Amino acid sequence: MILFFLILVIASFLSLVIQHFVPPLGPEGVRLILMPLVLFYGALALPFGLMLVLAFVCGLMWDALTVQVIQTGYGPTAATTVEIALGWSILLYATLGSVMSGFKPLFKRGRWEIHCLVSGVCTSLIVLAEFLMLSVRRAAIGNAPFVFNHDIWWRIGGPGVLALLLAPVVFFVLNSFAALVGYNPRKVDREEEL
Amino acid sequence: MRRFNILALVVFLVAVGGLFALGPGATQKIQSGFLGIIAPWLKSGSNVERRITAIRKGLKTLDELEAENKELLVHNKELQAVNQTLRDLETENNRLRRALHYRELAAFQLVPARVIARDASTWWNTIKIDRGFADGIESDMPVVTEDGLVGKTTTVARNASTVLLISDENCKVACGIEGSLEQGIVSGERTSSGSMPIISMRFLSKTANLQPGQKVLTSGVGGVYPSGIFVGGVKEFRVRELDGYATIVPAVDLTGLEDVFVVLGKK
Repeated sequence: MILFFLILVIASFLSLVIQHFVPPLGPEGVRLILMPLVLFYGALALPFGLMLVLAFVCGLMWDALTVQVIQTGYGPTAATTVEIALGWSILLYATLGSVMSGFKPLFKRGRWEIHCLVSGVCTSLIVLAEFLMLSVRRAAIGNAPFVFNHDIWWRIGGPGVLALLLAPVVFFVLNSFAALVGYNPRKVDREEEL
Repeated sequence: MRRFNILALVVFLVAVGGLFALGPGATQKIQSGFLGIIAPWLKSGSNVERRITAIRKGLKTLDELEAENKELLVHNKELQAVNQTLRDLETENNRLRRALHYRELAAFQLVPARVIARDASTWWNTIKIDRGFADGIESDMPVVTEDGLVGKTTTVARNASTVLLISDENCKVACGIEGSLEQGIVSGERTSSGSMPIISMRFLSKTANLQPGQKVLTSGVGGVYPSGIFVGGVKEFRVRELDGYATIVPAVDLTGLEDVFVVLGKK
């Protein structure tokens, strides 16, 4: 189990690297977001405790790359502040990972379509949550009004659709790795229940 | 087993709470550390991407040549291939010469850097470059190309840095309009993305009456950006309730950045 967990940690890191080389799609700038798919698979294949650790690792990596330390004011009133604190993505990932864990019984029975659908929805929820956090924070600093236009809809919904389409492939690949190291993700619940 | 889950949840929440309590300094240290870890991977990926792009570009040009010079290609295939290779070299040479020329003329000390990755997120507009504090780079240093302003450095690792692009809402630059006393703040928009950079100038006077094509230059106010760096051209001006607002066409093509310069200070 620990070996497979380490594989998932490496897979989440690699998916983050790959994300950097996929350009935004279409004029709306729809991004492919891969890392949450690894987390969602982890939520199905790992016990709850390890899922939390995986959410912590994924969220920390994401925040380490995206969190912005900004300067407010000039001269004597100048101050540096963290726009959105390190850790919010971890909470978000853990919450959505827990939601995905709720679908374990179906996964145990060999179903996968619902999980792909939920992965798509959850990916869009991540992007939406990021947008809302940014908007609230920037409004609080007095920066900008709330904007929610056609492009924003696309940039929230688009990653979800892409995740939905890619989820079967990602799940299949990760399932193959599980088989390779002799780990059966469908037994995890039974072990937890004991 | 349920007890273990509760324990795991408690440990998890304590760890996340610890992260929430971190100040800007500690946050930047974590960011710098992780950037140092991921940077070699991004550099390797960037090199592979460049090779693939080079091959694809070569094939595409060959296709175009084939359409235009079908007869000639049949008879001079070998010659065409050599010619194509030389053309690629010439383009690269011209680009580098232009860049070096800029470096010689600039009044600032510049560190050339290569873009290794673009932002993978939806709401932030940043790029990663292959130079860091080992080259004297610190956070809040302006980044330019021979065409104008790109943005400023934020997170700096040993051999890599993150650059916040001017198309990001958080990148605010005090600017003026060439040939007038008008001043304002240039920043990106939240709807701006890597493929569609949008920048605007706010807090202009309502009587500014800017004309399309007027040049926007940094004013030097604020201390981060030296004055006189070309930011872009005015596209449209409109009067709002409290101020004048102009949309700006960036001087630099932010979608196709390959090589940039970090401004360390005056020579």
